[in-house]
Amino acid sequence: MIRHRLFPLSDLLGLGLIHAVAIFSLVLLVAPSIIVVIISFDTRAYVSFPPEGFTFRWYAEVFDKGELVEAMLNSLQVGLTVTLLCIVLGVPTALACVRGRFRGTTALSVFVLVPHMVPGIVLGVAVLFAGSLVGVVPSIWLQSIAITVFILAVMVRTVQSRLMRLDPALEEAAANLRATPFQSLRTVTLPLLMPAILAGAVFTFVEGFDNLSVAIFTHGFRDRPLPVELLALVQYTSSPLVAAVSGVQIVLAIAALVAVSMSIGLDNVNE
Amino acid sequence: MMKGPSGPATTVASAAPVLRIGAVSKFFGTFKVLEDCTLDVAEGEIVTLLGPSGCGKTTLLRCIAGFWEANGGTIEIDGQHMFRVPVNRRPVGVVFQSYALFPHLTVARNVGYALRMRGLPRAEAKARVAEALDTVSLTGFEDRYPAQLSGGQQQRVAIARILVMEPRVLLLDEPFNALDAKLRGTMQVELRLLIKRLGLTSIFVTHDQEEALTMSDRIAVMRAGCIEQVAAPDEIFDRPATAYVADFIGTSNFWSARAEGGLVRLPDGQTASTVLKGEVRVMVRPHNLRLDAAGQGPWQGRVAFHRSVGPLVEYHVEIEGGMTLRVATMRQSANRPIRDDASVSIAVVDPALCAVYPG
Repeated sequence: MIRHRLFPLSDLLGLGLIHAVAIFSLVLLVAPSIIVVIISFDTRAYVSFPPEGFTFRWYAEVFDKGELVEAMLNSLQVGLTVTLLCIVLGVPTALACVRGRFRGTTALSVFVLVPHMVPGIVLGVAVLFAGSLVGVVPSIWLQSIAITVFILAVMVRTVQSRLMRLDPALEEAAANLRATPFQSLRTVTLPLLMPAILAGAVFTFVEGFDNLSVAIFTHGFRDRPLPVELLALVQYTSSPLVAAVSGVQIVLAIAALVAVSMSIGLDNVNE
Repeated sequence: MMKGPSGPATTVASAAPVLRIGAVSKFFGTFKVLEDCTLDVAEGEIVTLLGPSGCGKTTLLRCIAGFWEANGGTIEIDGQHMFRVPVNRRPVGVVFQSYALFPHLTVARNVGYALRMRGLPRAEAKARVAEALDTVSLTGFEDRYPAQLSGGQQQRVAIARILVMEPRVLLLDEPFNALDAKLRGTMQVELRLLIKRLGLTSIFVTHDQEEALTMSDRIAVMRAGCIEQVAAPDEIFDRPATAYVADFIGTSNFWSARAEGGLVRLPDGQTASTVLKGEVRVMVRPHNLRLDAAGQGPWQGRVAFHRSVGPLVEYHVEIEGGMTLRVATMRQSANRPIRDDASVSIAVVDPALCAVYPG
């Protein structure tokens, strides 16, 4: 009786609807990954579901195939480069946007955001054409820079939102306690921003590792990143090899998530 | 640590003031936040900036600390001009409203922060941190993090953090706001005794008159960017210089009257002296009024409401003209409070303690 008064029928219906949508979305998001992982263990040499046997053969083949390993290493390099560039460029930009006392902090913040709003394909084509105009040919470096431009906004936004919630009195206290502006940055601001920077680093690394739309136009002819290599693979073969590569990526992604949640907590990433 | 004389509660006229604020003004755009604020603070004195929010008290504090630069006037500490002196070179320590303890550092590292920034040898820094923690009775809390401390302990860490750098002036920005009401009273007394023991010259900012009366040697009442009166707490309470101060501190009753020949006639037939002429406003404190249930005096009223507040009984007495007077009397167990709705005659206890302001 009392429960009914606390939760009227309309509320219960609403709650039920929300739960239904949530479960449906979760299934929609997670099911393909699970199916891919299942397929990657199939014994048959073509993609089909449900599987007929169990083997590690495709995983062995991934690491036997030189071009796939090389592509993974290339993507790893791009991911690390993008992350490094995003930290070096993004953290100072976020500081300037939030703490800066000059005109145009809003303009700067929007300027950083714009490339992220442009479709990756458009950005990729634009970088390719602009590069050829000035004689820069596609390479692993051009690809890294292009993806950095594309994803920098995520690092800036993550750090910005954390910075805006920091008590400004903390930095004033540091100054009052004899810290120079640089000392205050090093001993107070940066340590307190570290969770946000780490979260941003995870996002930017994943983008650098995984991005296809920008990479397809900007990668070096000899340095094919993993997504491009995979695309070629699915175009010409239909073996569970592709599924195995995806399986490796999923394991890496889960490992990264666990590492982040153990070190700084997922709540800090979600801000 | 800083061993100063626990000086008398009044300004020592002979010694040069530690902090001199001379005609300080501050604008934000065209909006004037501070106007010609002048204030001297003597060695070891606690002066409170008291006023409602938006009166500029925090702005003045921030100008002294150097977070903002004043647009006009001078700020001197020990005769040194503070103009264009960066925050980290000013001999002041600030206790922030939020305490602003560094959440990622332990108590010991919070307290030792200023010493590390100055590059003091580790052994000496450690000894001074221990000394400061001992001063605020927090020995044994070295390895805790701020989040693991109570509000009162956090406040003491904030003070210890400042003590280690031996500032000339201590600035406290509403340091009791983050504490719950029950703790405030005891913390106020404790903090005042601690500051007095250390002999620290202090500026204390608050909007709470009770805090101001507890903490201060002198109170500077501020209004709309100006300092309205600077005086000892008793003086401020008994002889408020303006109607604004009287209204802001304590409860007060006002009524209009005419002054002639240096005298104002009070409604009960007595007279109060004044230098003013013509239309005036008379102020009397609730405890300076007396009620008589059977009295036939010339000043009559009706008790609209009464309540007992601890040792006091407070009456709201309706008088002619629709005004309500506040009257406070000591509660005496012998006689019961006067009933609501009773007719009473009102009299001023001491006409000399009536304040008279221009009408």
